Amino acid sequence: MEIPRLSRRRFLGLTAAAGVAAVLGVPLLKREASLAQERPKARYALIIDTTKCTGCGACIEACRLRNHLPEGVSYIRRIVKGNERNPRFLMIQCQHCANPPCATVCPTHATYRREDGVVLIDERLCVGCKYCMQACPYQARIFDEERGVADKCWLCLPWVLGGGLPACVEACIPGARLFGRADDPQSEVAQLIASGRAKPLHPEFGTDPSILFYVIEEE
Amino acid sequence: MQTAWGWLPAIYLFLGGMGAGALLVAAAFEFYGKRYQYDFCPTALVGATVPGPLVILGTLLLIFDLGAGRREPWRIFYMFTHFSSVMTWGVWLLTLFIPVSLIYGFLEILDAFPAARQWLRTRRWLRWTAFLWNLPLRRTKRVFAGIGSVLAVGVAIYTGILLSAVGPAIPFWSTRVLPFIPIPMMPVLFLVSALSTGMGLTVDLVATLAIGPMEQRVKSLPWIHMAFIGVETLLLGMLLITALVNGGSAAQSAREIIAGTHAVVFWVLIVLPGFIFPFVVHAYAAGLGRHSLVSGVGSGVGIVVAGLFLRYLILVSGIPAAL
Repeated sequence: MEIPRLSRRRFLGLTAAAGVAAVLGVPLLKREASLAQERPKARYALIIDTTKCTGCGACIEACRLRNHLPEGVSYIRRIVKGNERNPRFLMIQCQHCANPPCATVCPTHATYRREDGVVLIDERLCVGCKYCMQACPYQARIFDEERGVADKCWLCLPWVLGGGLPACVEACIPGARLFGRADDPQSEVAQLIASGRAKPLHPEFGTDPSILFYVIEEE
Repeated sequence: MQTAWGWLPAIYLFLGGMGAGALLVAAAFEFYGKRYQYDFCPTALVGATVPGPLVILGTLLLIFDLGAGRREPWRIFYMFTHFSSVMTWGVWLLTLFIPVSLIYGFLEILDAFPAARQWLRTRRWLRWTAFLWNLPLRRTKRVFAGIGSVLAVGVAIYTGILLSAVGPAIPFWSTRVLPFIPIPMMPVLFLVSALSTGMGLTVDLVATLAIGPMEQRVKSLPWIHMAFIGVETLLLGMLLITALVNGGSAAQSAREIIAGTHAVVFWVLIVLPGFIFPFVVHAYAAGLGRHSLVSGVGSGVGIVVAGLFLRYLILVSGIPAAL
C-alpha cells in the first residue's frame, strides 16, 4: 500500500505554525474582547478614606454577619501598610471593575457585570474551578467550601436597591466609608471623585475599578 | 503564595502536557517514516495509545478538583459556553483530543498487531463493522495522527496560557518571553516541556524497556534530546531572569525558586533529574555511540519526574501582586 509521506520539514513547519498562531492569537482575542464592549458608567460609588480608617475591622465583622458567613470569613480583608509607628490600613473587597478579569476567565457565565456597575456571581452557574480567584489582582474573592462556589462582595445589592447602605458603610465607626450615587453630580461621592482626591486602587492593573475608590494621603 | 491551586492542578497540567507530547512524538515517527523501519515500533505504539488514557485521567482529576461541578456534574456543560475564558478553550480541546487520540491509538494497535485485526474481523457480532475494514488502515491512521497533532499542540499550549492569562494578578505566571516581546513565556515553556516529557516517556522509558535503547536505532535521537534540554534550559533561564528584571512579586517568585523556599524542588527534583542527568547521559552515549539501559530508563524517568515537578513549582511559586 502506498503511504502518502509528509516530509519532516513540512510536519515541523505545520506544528510550529500552529503553535505560533495559537500563542499570537491570545493577545489579539483579548484586545478584541476589551474593545468590543462599551462600558456603561457605574451608578454607585463607595469611597474608603484611608486617612480616617483605624483598621478596627467593624466593616469586616458587619459584612460577615449580614452575609451569614462563618467565623473568620468575610468579603473584606485588611492589609496593613506603612511602618509600626504609623500603620496604614487598606480594606480590600471586590472593586467592581468595569473590565473584570474574573468575568473574562470564568469558563461559565457565572460572573457578570450589571448595567449599574455591580459585579455579581450567579452561583447556580459556578462550577468552582477557582480560576476567578487566581485572576483577581485584588484577591477579593473567597471560596465557599460548603457549596463549592466562588463568593465575594455584592455591594449588599438588595439593601442598596431598597435605598439602604452596604453593611460595611453602616458599621464604619470612624466614618471612613462613604457611599452614594456616582451618577448624581451633586452627591458627595461624585464631587470627591471629580476633585481627584478619591482614586481607584492600582489603576495600572487595567481592570478599571468602577465602584470602589480610595482616598490615600501621599507620604 | 497562591493557595487556590495545588497538587491536583499540577498533576493534570502535567498529564495533559505529557499526553500531548507523546502523541506528537508518535505522529513525528509516523510522518517521518521511522515508524515503518522496524517490524515493531514501541515508541509509536506507546505514543499513540497512552495520550488518550493520560488525558482522560487528567480530565477526571480536573473534574474532581472542581467545587460545585463535582457534586453537580451537569454544571460541567456550562464550561463549554464562555469563549473569553482560556478554560473554555481547554475544555473544548480536551473534549476533541480525547476521542481523536483514542481512535489513533486503536488504529495503531490494529496496525501493530495483525492478529488483533484478524480477531476483530472474524467476530460475528462485529459483522456490522464490515465497511470499516475496507478503509485503508494506514491512511486513516495518518488522518487521525494529523488531527491529533494539531489538537496536541493546542492542549500543550493551553496548559500554559491558562496560567499566563491571569495577567497582573500573578505577575510571575504572565512573565513574557523577554520583557519587550509581548508573548507570554508559560505557553512556550509548557509546549517544549510537553514534547520533552513525551519523548522521555516514549523514546527513553518505554522503548528502552521494550527493545533496548532506541538511540541505537535512530542516531539523531540523543542530539534531539540534548537540543530539547538545551532549549528548555534557555527558556527557564529567560523566565527567571525576566521575572527578576520585572521586579515586584514576579522577582520574589524567581528568588524563591533559585534560592528560597522552592530551591530544593527546583535544583534537586527538576534541574538535576530533568536537565543535568539526561544531558550528561545522552552526551556521553552520543559520544561513545553506545547506549545502556541506564541512559534510556534513567533519563526517561528523570525527565518525566522533572516535568511533573516543573508544573508543581510554577503553580506554587505564583505570588499574587502586592497591593
